[in-house]
Amino acid sequence: MEHTTFSLGGNEGRQVFWNAEYFEALLFLFTFVALAIFGYGVYRRWQMWKAMGKPEIRTDNMKERIKILLKDGLLQFRTFKDIYPGLMHGFIFFGFCVLIFGAAFDATEFHITEPLGWAFLRGKFYLVFSLLMDLFGLLVLIGVFMALDRRYLQKPDRLGYKGKPDNTPDDAIVLLLIGGIVITGFLIEALRIYVTNPPWEHWSFVGWTISKAFVGVDHGTAKAMHKALWWIHTFIALGFIAYIPYSRLLHMITVPANYYMTSLQPVGNIEPIRDFETAESFGVGQLEEFTWKQIFDSDACTKCGRCQDGCPAYLTGKPLSPKKLVQDLKTYWLERAPQFAAAKKAAGPEGEVQIPEAQKAMVGEVIDLHELWACTNCMYCMENCSAAIEHVPKIIGMRQYKVLTEADFAPELQLTYRNMENNSNPWGIGAHMRADWAKEIGVKTLAEDPNVEYLFYVGCAGSFDDRGKKVSTAFAKILQAAGVSFGILGTEEGCCGDSAMRGGNEYLYQTLAQTNIEVIKGYGVKKIIATCPHGYNALKKDYPHFGGEFEVYHHTEIIADLIAKGRINLKKPVDGLFAYHDSCFLGRYNQIYDQPRKILKAIPGLQLTEMERNLAKSFCCGAGGARMWMEEDIGKRINVARTEQAMEAKADHVAVGCPFCLTMMVDGIKDKEMSEKMDAADIAEIVWKAMDMEDAKPQGEAA
Amino acid sequence: MNIVACVKQVPDTEAQIRVKPDGSGIDDSGIKWVMNPYDEYGVEEALKLKEKFGGDVTIVSVGPARVVETIRTALAMGADKGIQIDDPALNSADAYTTAAALAAAIKGIPHDVIFCGQRAIDDDSGQVGSILAELLDLPQLTIVTKVDIEGTTVKVVKPIEGAQLLIESSLPCVITAQKGLNEPRYASLPGVMKAKKKPLDVKNAAALGVSTEGKAKVAKTTAPPSRPPGKIIDGADAAAKAAQVAKLLREEAKVI
Repeated sequence: MEHTTFSLGGNEGRQVFWNAEYFEALLFLFTFVALAIFGYGVYRRWQMWKAMGKPEIRTDNMKERIKILLKDGLLQFRTFKDIYPGLMHGFIFFGFCVLIFGAAFDATEFHITEPLGWAFLRGKFYLVFSLLMDLFGLLVLIGVFMALDRRYLQKPDRLGYKGKPDNTPDDAIVLLLIGGIVITGFLIEALRIYVTNPPWEHWSFVGWTISKAFVGVDHGTAKAMHKALWWIHTFIALGFIAYIPYSRLLHMITVPANYYMTSLQPVGNIEPIRDFETAESFGVGQLEEFTWKQIFDSDACTKCGRCQDGCPAYLTGKPLSPKKLVQDLKTYWLERAPQFAAAKKAAGPEGEVQIPEAQKAMVGEVIDLHELWACTNCMYCMENCSAAIEHVPKIIGMRQYKVLTEADFAPELQLTYRNMENNSNPWGIGAHMRADWAKEIGVKTLAEDPNVEYLFYVGCAGSFDDRGKKVSTAFAKILQAAGVSFGILGTEEGCCGDSAMRGGNEYLYQTLAQTNIEVIKGYGVKKIIATCPHGYNALKKDYPHFGGEFEVYHHTEIIADLIAKGRINLKKPVDGLFAYHDSCFLGRYNQIYDQPRKILKAIPGLQLTEMERNLAKSFCCGAGGARMWMEEDIGKRINVARTEQAMEAKADHVAVGCPFCLTMMVDGIKDKEMSEKMDAADIAEIVWKAMDMEDAKPQGEAA
Repeated sequence: MNIVACVKQVPDTEAQIRVKPDGSGIDDSGIKWVMNPYDEYGVEEALKLKEKFGGDVTIVSVGPARVVETIRTALAMGADKGIQIDDPALNSADAYTTAAALAAAIKGIPHDVIFCGQRAIDDDSGQVGSILAELLDLPQLTIVTKVDIEGTTVKVVKPIEGAQLLIESSLPCVITAQKGLNEPRYASLPGVMKAKKKPLDVKNAAALGVSTEGKAKVAKTTAPPSRPPGKIIDGADAAAKAAQVAKLLREEAKVI
């Protein structure tokens, strides 16, 4: 095929398929073979994805889903949240995107537009194109070296489990393929430039630089080398395509798909069990009892370990690692899915599928019970997973199976549930004592006065725990001083049920939730304030499942607002260095990061510092997910680990916005024998202190 | 093996107990009713024997409509059927009458082992199990922390001050359960749902041919004397406070 001659001054370019003019037919053949292998792999995987799992709708609201796909799938916002791995992945991904576009340009010109008489890879466009291709090729190469360095030299713990790397040959093969494509590509370019020697090719700066290394090689040898390398390049590239569905490269398909199908529900949402009466089994005891999407999730996992990096259970020596959990489910799925696919095929389109008998118990054998129960539901894994995997609902599903179906779980948690059943609080203190804290300070119940703006939902800790009662008192006094109209439910209030729900006792949770909703609705309440983030989250986001639609605020939101509006006066300086500990159920669950910090900054004299792990990457206190009520006998105690982090920040005081966190931090400080030097306090207590009104008469009382 | 477990419904240990103004008992409004914890050990042991030897567990309880919930709790744990003896005349029955009612109900059904709690936490009388055994003319093994059955013999462990007794008896017999016998199970949800459909017989005193006369009667219920309020000792320093304590102990409390 004759081509236009290339020249300086607007006709710069290169001959596509230079030195490989007669390979086109062969190339097509090999490409076809590679695509066939790729297609077969994807088809087989597709059969496996479809083989098992309960139905779930994850393709509604296309507009929203496309937005998520573009933001986190294409532009990889979440991946970039971790700088080094973010850049590493970004270099490879975006570099490759550009290279693929480049190859597509080449192909389009060569096969389509040029035969029609339009060659567009010419002149300035060609030069810039050459520059970009080399630049992004180089970035891919840098990314690959960063990855090799990280995986095989730096060896961060998260690319393994308990100090042991979990590398597989696949990890290396993939990097070598990518690196191989780019390196051979540059070599081909260099040899072409060396032989054809056009004066403008310094724009292809990498190839041009390498071409200098061939000086002295005769053109015949160079052309032979070029031909050989051209084929190597081609085979690596086609091999890469064929290899995708059989390797971790499949994440190029599964991760964007997982982003597209991500949950659009509020963070931490658990779909309620609707049928208690006729179901034989509850929760997830077998793999096929997960939804198809929950199963698909595990196929999107790339073992990157971001989840593990901040998992409070993992980092304190418990066997749980969210990564391991997902990978173990995946391994089990790889074993089970083909059996299900075969059973489906055997049954035909109309026949009933004979579920292949499981050889082992998923909960207990595939997933160890210590792993299952170590989770604090802190949401770190889900918040930071760059593949949109939803770990926590899986854990709760399996806990539901252990609690509801098998009734086989920790005795201390059984006691907690009995307490919640009998006295509507996890401590099991007489329900009639729920409002005792409020008696002395003149807080009215809605039964006494229903015409108030806010219901203060006190919650169990605020009602029964000695320290919690002090927080409730401080907050009630703040509201009184600011003239906010509010009331409590008194003994009509019940446990919010969060610990029951997150500990797998959905039945108990729903009983408690429905009782509360009925009482709250009975008073026509519209706005609710909660001092406990667990109650706050449950009332705000979980109760709507059962018809409880309220405007729910956390007390830090209310206090921040009162300060902003000048309704409370913070006059007494509070000295000392404070570190604010983000409660998971405020931060990651409800994105309340600013208000507590704003409040603390508004207090005169108070100095605010940050612990290293904060905001969305904050470290759990250890009490979420019903862990508050369970023994912690493996590894280090999570609250002690968090206390040490506060000590590293040199904080004298730990400020919290959650009664569970408060208990955990107070205990942690005691455990570290730091009680002389450090303390923990709820923001309401700190604010009340700064208001300096303790000696003032409560409102409404005669002086 | 046919196993019977007798259960009593009692106020939750945390419930607020208010005595009726006329002293005729306690005001049961707002009280959370639960299964007597010692009876729970009996139910759990009955279920364990059923799991080991097969057979049936029957729950028997005396009390008004509200006790059905407690019977269902035992059924949810895994018992097979329930008998409720509901008669207004039995609502404030003494231990003898209660035992007689239970005996009459149990006589009508096959029984190899009968479990009772060693006492109920509400009236603390601790007699029903023993009277029941007498009325049925069966051996009684009381306050037991371990049960071992082989063939038609049962060996039980009964802790006493400073020692424990290993007692052997033939079956059938009455065993009263003490804390430590086992850890009662948490009912599974399928268990709770199935319990709603399990058979429950309701009988009254007349049908059982039981006299509701009784042998003893609670004459009056009064609240325990209220504790006098504590005293906070004031003083300039520790020594002054200690002196004050010593003075009060001598002059007011008259203990030194």
